[in-house]
Amino acid sequence: MNDRIIFEDVSKFYGEILGVNRVNLSIPPGITSLVGPNGSGKTTLMNLMTGLVRPTRGRIQLLDCSIDDPENLFRMVGYSTQFDAFPKGLNGFQFVYSYLRLAGRDSQSAEQLAWRAIERVNLVDAAKRNVAGYSKGMRQRIRLAQALSHDPKVLVLDEPLNGLDPLARSEMIALFRSTATQGCYVIISSHILHEVDVISDQVILLSNGYVVAEGKIHNVRSEIQEHPTQILIRCSQPRELAAKMFEYPHTIEVSIHKDEHGLLLKTRDADRFYLALNEIALNGIDIESVAPADDDVLSVYEYLIGNEEVVR
Amino acid sequence: MKTIWWAQIKAVIRLEMKKTFFAKRGLWIYVLAAMPVMLFIAYAVATSSHRNRSAGIAAQGEKTLTSQNMRAIKPEMTSQEVIAILGKPPITLHWTENRPPQTGKGMSIEVLHESYHYSDGQSDLFVRLADGKVENITIQQGNNLGQDSIMFAGVFQFFFLRLAIFFGCLGIFMNLFRGEILDRSLHFYFLAPIRREAVMTGKFLAGLLATCTIFVTSELLQTIAFLWHFPPTVRELYLYHNHGLEHAAIYLGVTVLACVGYGAFFLVAGMMFRNPILPAAAILIWEGINPFLPAVLRQFSVIYYLKSLCPVDIPSPPGTPPVFALLVSNSDPVAAPIAILGILVVALIALYVSSVQVRRMEINYTTE
Repeated sequence: MNDRIIFEDVSKFYGEILGVNRVNLSIPPGITSLVGPNGSGKTTLMNLMTGLVRPTRGRIQLLDCSIDDPENLFRMVGYSTQFDAFPKGLNGFQFVYSYLRLAGRDSQSAEQLAWRAIERVNLVDAAKRNVAGYSKGMRQRIRLAQALSHDPKVLVLDEPLNGLDPLARSEMIALFRSTATQGCYVIISSHILHEVDVISDQVILLSNGYVVAEGKIHNVRSEIQEHPTQILIRCSQPRELAAKMFEYPHTIEVSIHKDEHGLLLKTRDADRFYLALNEIALNGIDIESVAPADDDVLSVYEYLIGNEEVVR
Repeated sequence: MKTIWWAQIKAVIRLEMKKTFFAKRGLWIYVLAAMPVMLFIAYAVATSSHRNRSAGIAAQGEKTLTSQNMRAIKPEMTSQEVIAILGKPPITLHWTENRPPQTGKGMSIEVLHESYHYSDGQSDLFVRLADGKVENITIQQGNNLGQDSIMFAGVFQFFFLRLAIFFGCLGIFMNLFRGEILDRSLHFYFLAPIRREAVMTGKFLAGLLATCTIFVTSELLQTIAFLWHFPPTVRELYLYHNHGLEHAAIYLGVTVLACVGYGAFFLVAGMMFRNPILPAAAILIWEGINPFLPAVLRQFSVIYYLKSLCPVDIPSPPGTPPVFALLVSNSDPVAAPIAILGILVVALIALYVSSVQVRRMEINYTTE
């Protein structure tokens, strides 16, 4: 019994153009974010795991299901794509309802499930309006309702927060979280890093079709040795603390915060730094808080890729 | 499992029906289907008005004529003899002609020409006389069901089958997948827990339902328009005693089979080619050159079997070059059960290729 989404040496080429190359992944339950700029291979990975495109090389397995078996695959997968086209002439309710009828549901249960999914994305009032007249955010939500409608175990969401207003974004993020806490696999692609930071249990960083890092963001950060760890310390005596810190060889750089109530320190060895900080605190300097300053997706991505296309 | 497949196929058909029946880009298919109906209505109106005119001419005549009376007129009869048999003509035309003298010298000769127009209410007789003697006789027959049924067969074979149904199926079946790829909405089906083959079957059946409804209705209306102008007795005689009803049923059956055959061909073509013009032209040429192909190759065509099923043979007009005569006649017809089986086998082969193709299909709209 396999409980992971597995990519084994997967490559996808569109003719001569590289989609993704030599991808090896093992995705556990929870929220996993695919992060990377446009063209990095996020959508290709999602299309590969849902069988919309076939790998040129390698093997993909979704839990116990092959991607070549859409009938069983989509019983446990819901995919909200970036494709912004809908079957003509359908209203929001019909869009979700027709999807459930295609899944083989009888009319009564399809109707029930469709309304439930539409309620979950807060679109009940607009459900009987033609999808062609929806705003971008509404189209995003109705696609999400379709993907959620049959209670899938794996939810694949391509840029799901695009076009949503701040309130809708926070509602959707809460929805993803609650879905993930039920033991589901939520795969989200995004190029907006601060969102990913808030949502994700783990991240997969992509660049030019290659996976450059994967795992929990803190673990990924600690793997990056060539960039010193940055730590923000809030205290009442930043200058004294800075002077003490320079006594330790792992300290590279210290800068005093402009409000004179803290400092930003760069260290080559985070573990030794924390030991040193304990000693200093015991010797009378009052420390209010300590927090890593570059232990987020944005910093990690910049360290690994140095790409400016990703939006903060 | 089979129950759920059938439920899924029905769901696909429901979604497709609106698109296939009411798509704006499919309006020309209705026009194509309506064209032969219009032709037969126009023909019926023209024939009816001609018959009314003939009845009027017959009523004006001195005698009540029969076709036997009219056939009794022979060349070289005098005008008196003609009038003795048929009575005074209701419509007469006369004019004079100045002929040059036969020797080339002297005065020209004045020749009196006359034209008598008689009618028995059905057929018209035109008798042309020169200098009081019958020179030319023309009988224009009305209510000639034999001739009209050949005309009907010609329209059916050369326009309805080879053009209207052919291009109608092209318009509907090629768009089942290709249209959705262009609209970027095909992923809707491919994201549902449904076998791709079920999507294909549902789409094919929806296309078949649409084409059959459009073209069977057209064929029915053509038959009604074709028979409408005949008197009830002639109609009854044709329908119940001269295989008319049987022919009408066969035409409807051939229409359905044509939709099945061409539909399956264009379904697979729509999956394999981006530009519909190329496969359409290739299939049109293949179907067109069918009579000239070797017997083995002829079997891989829809028109070969459809022609064998058509109930009325179209005779080649005298003097038709053998090459063209081949197009008209069916030199090597197959028995009806084999023809039906042949079309179904050709369609099944095309559907099998489609099912392989649909399983391989990827959603990659950017390359389209």
